[in-house]
Amino acid sequence: MTAKPIASPIPVAMYPTLSVFTLAIGLVITAFFFIYEATSSRKNRSLGMELTTAAVASVFLGFGSLFLLLASGVYV
Amino acid sequence: MKNSSVVDLLLLLLLAITVLTTPAFSDLVLSKVERRIDVTSQIARVTKTLKVVNSGSESVSEFTLTFPKFLGNNLAYLTVSHSEGKGKAKRSLANLSVEEANPKGMPDSVSFYTVALPKPLSKGDTLTLEVVAAFTNVLQPFPEKISQRDIHLVMLQESAQYLSPYAVESQSLSVKLPHNARIESYTKLENTKVQGSEIKYGPYKNLAQYSYAPIVVHFESKAAFAVAEKLVREIEVSHWGNVQVTEHYNLVHRGAQLKGEFSRLEYQDRPNPQGVSAFRHLLARLPPRAHSIYYRDDIGNISTSQMKSDSKKTEVLIEPRFPLFGGWKTFFTIGYGLPLSDFLFASEGKRFLDISFGSPMLDLVTEKLIVQVVLPEGSKDISVTTPFAVKQSHEIKYSHLDIAGRPVVVLEKNNVVPDHNQNIQVYYKFSNINLLSEPLMLITGFFVLFITCIIYTRADFSISKSSAAYLAKLQWDEVLATVQEVQNIIQKCLAAHDKLEASLRDLSRTGDIQTCKAARKSTDSSLKDLSKELRPLLASLQSFPSASQISPKVEELVAKERELQEKLMAKHTTVVEGYEKKSSGRDIENRIASQQQKIIALRQEVEDLLEFIDEI
Repeated sequence: MTAKPIASPIPVAMYPTLSVFTLAIGLVITAFFFIYEATSSRKNRSLGMELTTAAVASVFLGFGSLFLLLASGVYV
Repeated sequence: MKNSSVVDLLLLLLLAITVLTTPAFSDLVLSKVERRIDVTSQIARVTKTLKVVNSGSESVSEFTLTFPKFLGNNLAYLTVSHSEGKGKAKRSLANLSVEEANPKGMPDSVSFYTVALPKPLSKGDTLTLEVVAAFTNVLQPFPEKISQRDIHLVMLQESAQYLSPYAVESQSLSVKLPHNARIESYTKLENTKVQGSEIKYGPYKNLAQYSYAPIVVHFESKAAFAVAEKLVREIEVSHWGNVQVTEHYNLVHRGAQLKGEFSRLEYQDRPNPQGVSAFRHLLARLPPRAHSIYYRDDIGNISTSQMKSDSKKTEVLIEPRFPLFGGWKTFFTIGYGLPLSDFLFASEGKRFLDISFGSPMLDLVTEKLIVQVVLPEGSKDISVTTPFAVKQSHEIKYSHLDIAGRPVVVLEKNNVVPDHNQNIQVYYKFSNINLLSEPLMLITGFFVLFITCIIYTRADFSISKSSAAYLAKLQWDEVLATVQEVQNIIQKCLAAHDKLEASLRDLSRTGDIQTCKAARKSTDSSLKDLSKELRPLLASLQSFPSASQISPKVEELVAKERELQEKLMAKHTTVVEGYEKKSSGRDIENRIASQQQKIIALRQEVEDLLEFIDEI
């Protein structure tokens, strides 16, 4: 019965790079969201567009903040 | 003097034992007993090699090991193994199970341990047993209180003859003292000699059961008597790649107590520093690839530490804030992180954590050790395997991004010596899907923020629905919407103009008049439609009082666009006629030259106006 060592699903050395990229993409999509909110008039706003932008932005921001926590040593 | 009263007590003990002699325990005879006591550190380590011969008629499956009670009470660690072969071919086989026993009718002043033999020893057979025992608190500091200048003298009491319920044919004892230690005094029996820093007693031949010869050795010890009164060791496993170990120490010096004052001047005097009984450094041996090591206490970081790492271990030399004399206490925390794949393994559907149990410090005795293993949320079927007895319990710890809390296995043990620093295994079940719950929580948090923004921009927070400002805002929104629609229509008109120009270019290339006329017709109709759409919008724009600034600009835009349209139509007609009449290219160009200039200028003005309206 050999024991196989278990490692993290993502290599630990990649945490800082991953966090920078996912946070950057998340912030860009957040910017899109807020620009859409600011420039569209009440009649032209579409709820579907808002929700999809918000969902995609929150996915990237969520993973980005998780990798940021892991890269800075708080192993949640 | 205290020394002689202790010896008297021991002699009384001896008498008591001989008075209460009981019949033979069993028919085993110890043919050779070699004992070696190592007192170079604060722990007394006794290594015994016993050759057991079955001189009776029945086969025996148990062996009884005894210690005098004052030693047995302080027994911290005991293993018994049996070995085969002689000299170089000696092999140590598996550890045998040892249990504490209280046989009836035995004297109270002796501790008994029953060893289960690997296979029953039949008549005439011999077996070699190796016993390793570690005792704490048996090196008594004597004198018990010393001043800063004095050396640290300790006393060991033992028996030169091995106290056992079996008869012993030949035995010897050697006491190994610290290197270059000053021997204050030692009991001189027959066959005693001192060789370097070892005192040898024996060999003694043909002794009866329970024979006992008390000896006392009084010598100087330079070892650090560092004892951790309480050590809490928290091992937190995170499946994202880290095992974090945090250790909280309450350290005390259990040697002779300091009497009088502590003089820093004398302590730091060179060439004769006074204060040999104190210790300054503690060496901790951590696993290799330990990272993020910190050493702090309640005040803050302690900077007096050094680290040296190689591929087999990481050595951290820590120096508390002050040197520790007898009776002095200090407390601190050490923490370090370890890579996950060195310690977490998978086997047979379960995962297990293989990590050392005791403190990583060399030569540290722990009176109360509490190890808390914190497993990630969602771990199930937790079980612990230890090579020695510990007290187990379960707790819950709430930490980062937790919903239900993390399960904690708490292992407690008293009187822990460095021999206990072996690996324990904690088995549990965990599936990697549970790892996703943490990013999902963060994603949900961010999404709730966005939803709040959406609700805020859509909700109507005005208190009064009929105030002038509110109505003005509503109207302005409508104006903007209308202007945007006008802009869209103008863009479509411009696109139609572009199509017309493209058809003219096609004509100059291919000479196909019919397609050109067809394109002209379709463009005409679409432009008519667009102007029809434009009319009601312009009308509504006029009706808004707040649009008074924009509407002239918008009207100007529309007028210019219409002019552009007319000019373009005229040009188109001219060009098509020219082709029908088959006049030369230069002729056509001359005719439309002025028109072309005006068209270009008008186009530029229309685009400027569009930009201007955009910026409002």
